[in-house]
Amino acid sequence: MFELQNIEKRYTGVHVLKGVDFRIDDGEIIGLVGENGAGKSTLMKIIYGAVQQDGGTIQVDGETVTFRTPRDAMKMGVGMVYQEQSLIPNLTVMENIFLGFEKPFVRFGAIRWKKMAEAARVQLAKVGLDIDPATITSRLTFAQRQLVELAKVLALEERVEGKLVILLDEPTSVLSRDEIELLFSVVRALRRRASFIFVSHRLDEILALSDRIYVLKDGAVVDVMTAKDASIATIQKEMVGRDISNEYYREDRQIPYDENKVLLELDHVGVAGRGNDVSLRLHAGEVLALVGVEGSGREPILRTIFGMLRPDRGTLRIRGKPVRSFSPSHSVAHGIGYIPRERKIEGIASGMNVFENMTLSQMKNYTKGSVLNISAERKLAREWIGKLSIKVPSEYADCGNLSGGNQQKVVLAKWRSGGSDIILLDHPTRGLDIGAKEDVYAMIRDMSADGVGIILIADTLEEAIGLSHTIAVIKDGDIKKWFNCQPGAKPSLYNLIQHMV
Amino acid sequence: MLLLVGLRDINFLSPQNLVTLVADVVPLLIMATGMTFVIYIGGIDLSSQSIANMATVLATISLPALGVGSALLVIAAGLLFGAVSGVVTTRLKVPSFISTLAVGGIALSVGQYASGQQALHMDTEQRRHAFGWVTGQTAGIPHILVLALVIVAIAWFLQIRMLPGRTLKAIGAGEPVVVASGIRADRYKILAFALSGMFAAIAGLMFSIRLSGGSPTLAEGFLLPAIVAVLVGGTPLTGGVGGVLNTLIGTMIVAVVRASMLYFSIPATGQQIFFGLVLIVAIATTIDRSKMKVVK
Repeated sequence: MFELQNIEKRYTGVHVLKGVDFRIDDGEIIGLVGENGAGKSTLMKIIYGAVQQDGGTIQVDGETVTFRTPRDAMKMGVGMVYQEQSLIPNLTVMENIFLGFEKPFVRFGAIRWKKMAEAARVQLAKVGLDIDPATITSRLTFAQRQLVELAKVLALEERVEGKLVILLDEPTSVLSRDEIELLFSVVRALRRRASFIFVSHRLDEILALSDRIYVLKDGAVVDVMTAKDASIATIQKEMVGRDISNEYYREDRQIPYDENKVLLELDHVGVAGRGNDVSLRLHAGEVLALVGVEGSGREPILRTIFGMLRPDRGTLRIRGKPVRSFSPSHSVAHGIGYIPRERKIEGIASGMNVFENMTLSQMKNYTKGSVLNISAERKLAREWIGKLSIKVPSEYADCGNLSGGNQQKVVLAKWRSGGSDIILLDHPTRGLDIGAKEDVYAMIRDMSADGVGIILIADTLEEAIGLSHTIAVIKDGDIKKWFNCQPGAKPSLYNLIQHMV
Repeated sequence: MLLLVGLRDINFLSPQNLVTLVADVVPLLIMATGMTFVIYIGGIDLSSQSIANMATVLATISLPALGVGSALLVIAAGLLFGAVSGVVTTRLKVPSFISTLAVGGIALSVGQYASGQQALHMDTEQRRHAFGWVTGQTAGIPHILVLALVIVAIAWFLQIRMLPGRTLKAIGAGEPVVVASGIRADRYKILAFALSGMFAAIAGLMFSIRLSGGSPTLAEGFLLPAIVAVLVGGTPLTGGVGGVLNTLIGTMIVAVVRASMLYFSIPATGQQIFFGLVLIVAIATTIDRSKMKVVK
């Protein structure tokens, strides 16, 4: 049994954890949910020893322990499966599994690889992975690597007394549905060896896998429920502290698009190096969702439209005019805006303030003979801060310090204020909490009403169904099936999944 | 530091001495200002010193034939060498510390070849005719200092108020954002290197005029103080923050330290030890670790 009592943590004045009690029994699977900033990641870091608590105690089987480093925690049987995988790609699977714990295999200073391979095979068998332990890790699929990571943590079992506690941090975010099922069945099968703490934004998965669910809000545990008594709606309500409207995706505001006005057309376009053939039309006011499993080829289509990739063949027409030169600067000049998946890498320049970020794509409109008109830039920023209710102290605030939702609003404002009317949204709500998601959905409806055409790669299928007018199901780079998505006649998850896999 | 040295020798603080101190630092200031642009985008320019060396030689050689036009030749040469570094870095994707090191090697060689490996001297009359306005003084203030401040002011305006400056800042803050905003980032990166090369050449030109001659090793020992000036001023190697004004302050710090060391009669050869140490401390304390997770 693993127990946290009255855990307190402050970071330079911010009270992150306020007396958290947390208990996990042997063989239990605990779901841990909460909005961004609720304190989930700090709590996890305390559990696996990356951060030390300011107050409260950690007990393993009734004994108080102190974790100064993750290695201390590992010695007590607490292991972490990282969201951004921690395996080193150019090492072999077995080297990764025993990284830092090679000692049992060393004789006269040299590692006995056969012995290590044997031991690695034992660990891989626990997760049902039948691969050669000498495989270079980068050759594995993402899902396989996730399992290797799990096997790596399970290898602790032989080194510690008592049961293991394994943390799974958003393990499903980059897996396909099949792979998620596989992971879940592995986790369930491992219950007699270990207990699990499962952190995810996807509440349906939390419900499917966990025994009990801890809901964290503003640094405190607001509720502990048994999964069989809980529903997505009740968890959401606890997380946000209020009822989520039934009109989550603002379907009431979905209005038909303008069929006569084609903004963007792909005519038998082959995405570079994929040998596929994509044709689609985007109309003014339309939300077109590209749906498919991870790696099905949705992103390359978006990147081709934005000019980051040059198509092998076919024609791309913007407002009827064929595109000849492919570059982001050409696309931006023709009214395309791209809201990338990696918000912190491609979306927001941290270290730059709000107006500098907003005008980045349209600086020419704010210069005279190359000299910037900063007062006009600030005016624009203030206007959009008001319009999208962006929470910032002023237009001089560093965008790197804003919350994810506010950063996303700045990126949206950047394109909308520049007059872009073809907007490419790549996972626009990724990592946002529920309140911020609702804001983004409302903005999407606003843009549609203004006659903007939107191509969307949604974070979840529900989101794609809820938001879009049209859905294109993509598999292996090609569009396999089109769905019409009028309110009241939307396809079901089942309809879509059939064509995805 | 100024006061400390002033206590030892009150002459150190005399206005005349301070003006000379500042005027002496002009070539370094201009070189560091140019270097600021490259460091601002997160790169480094190791060719500055060699380009300045080359500039002293080219200026001296071309003075008899071109007169004041030799300045233009030298500036164009610096711009060209800098631009080559930029093209190599962006198009061939060679890290800037290697590309500028290589271009610096070429520049050094050009200087050696053109000078025949020896120190050259300007004809006094020709120098006075072409560049007398640079070496003169008005009311005790050397013209060269005014000129340097004008150059720094232009660089500063370019950095904070003009489109290229904003773009360079954004590249330093996060280049993928710039590309995803539809800006041709490579062009601006080449511009940063070209500016750095041009400023290095102007620095060499100033030095050459002051010393009335040129040699392929004249500007030796400039590179380290120039980098120190930029970093101590507050433009970290990872880029995105700081700028030209910071470098102005950084150069002043370097100038005071250098002059103080002279007063404490630390030989010039020993100064580099100090600047090397300061550089390490400056980098270690200013670098933005979030942008550099792994250091190799």
